Amino acid sequence: MTNKENSKLSQLETGYQFPPSSLHLDAEAVSAYLTAVEDGNHLYREDNIIPPLAIAACAMKALFEDIGLPAGTIHISQELELSGIINSGDSLTSQAIVKRRQTRGKLNMLTIGFGILNQQQDTVLTGETSLILPAAEAGQ
Amino acid sequence: MALNREQLSELREGMELPELKKTVTREKIKRYAEASRDFNPIHLDQEFARQAGLDGTIAHGMLILAYLSEMMTNAFQKTWLTGGKLNVRFRTPARPGDTIRVSGRIRRVEKNEGETTIICEVLCANQADEAVITGEARITVRTD
Repeated sequence: MTNKENSKLSQLETGYQFPPSSLHLDAEAVSAYLTAVEDGNHLYREDNIIPPLAIAACAMKALFEDIGLPAGTIHISQELELSGIINSGDSLTSQAIVKRRQTRGKLNMLTIGFGILNQQQDTVLTGETSLILPAAEAGQ
Repeated sequence: MALNREQLSELREGMELPELKKTVTREKIKRYAEASRDFNPIHLDQEFARQAGLDGTIAHGMLILAYLSEMMTNAFQKTWLTGGKLNVRFRTPARPGDTIRVSGRIRRVEKNEGETTIICEVLCANQADEAVITGEARITVRTD
C-alpha cells in the first residue's frame, strides 16, 4: 500500500463523510452484470430495471477504491434496504459516512453507511458494510 | 409485478422459498470481477490469496449476495425491489468448485395497520453444508 492510501485510511474516523460520487451503469454494463451473476429475471430484461445489487457493488467499489483497502481486508457483514426501482438511465449519487471504527487487538473494524439517491433526490438504496482491516495496514 | 392482496394472504410462517443452486468457478469469478470492476487480487490471483492466508482465490461476497437477492426477486418480484431489506453476515468464503444452495424460509408475517412485513431467514450454504452467508430478509408491503 502506498503512503497516500495509508494516510487516507488513517483519516477514516467515525463521522468521516466521503465526497458524493456519481454512479452510472449503462445497458452493456447491466447486461454484463446479469450474465456474471446468471440472473435471468424478466424484470431486468423487459422493464429496464437495474439490479440493486449491481448498484450496491458499484457504490462500494467506488468507496473502496477511494480509501485503498489493504490486502487481507475481510467483508464480514452487509445490510441493504431497497426502497425504489432503479431504471436504466437514472442519474444516481452515492453518499457515504464512516459509522463506526473500532480497534480490537491487531484488527480494525470499519462500518460504512451509504445511501444512493436518484435524479429526483429519492433514496433508492441504503446500505451498511462492515469490514475487518489488519491494524498494521490501517494507518495505525 | 408486485404482490397482490391475495398472494400476500397466502404467505404463511414456515413456507420455504424456491431455492437456487449456483456453481462457483474461476471463470465466473473473473466475469463478476469484470462486471463489477472489482479486481481485488484475492479473487483472481492464487498466489496473492495464499499469501493473504487463504487456501486459494475466493468468490466476491457480493457475488454470492447477488444470488440471495435473485432468490428474493424471483419469490417477491417488484415487491422485493421496492421494499426489501437484507441483513447478513459472511461466514465462510465461497471458493471455485463450490456449489452454493440459496434458500429461505418465512419465519414470520407481521400485519400492521397499512402494511404487512414478511420476515425470512436466508442461507447460502456450500456442498459441505457450511454456511457461506446467513441472515434475514424482510419485505414490507403497503396494504392501504
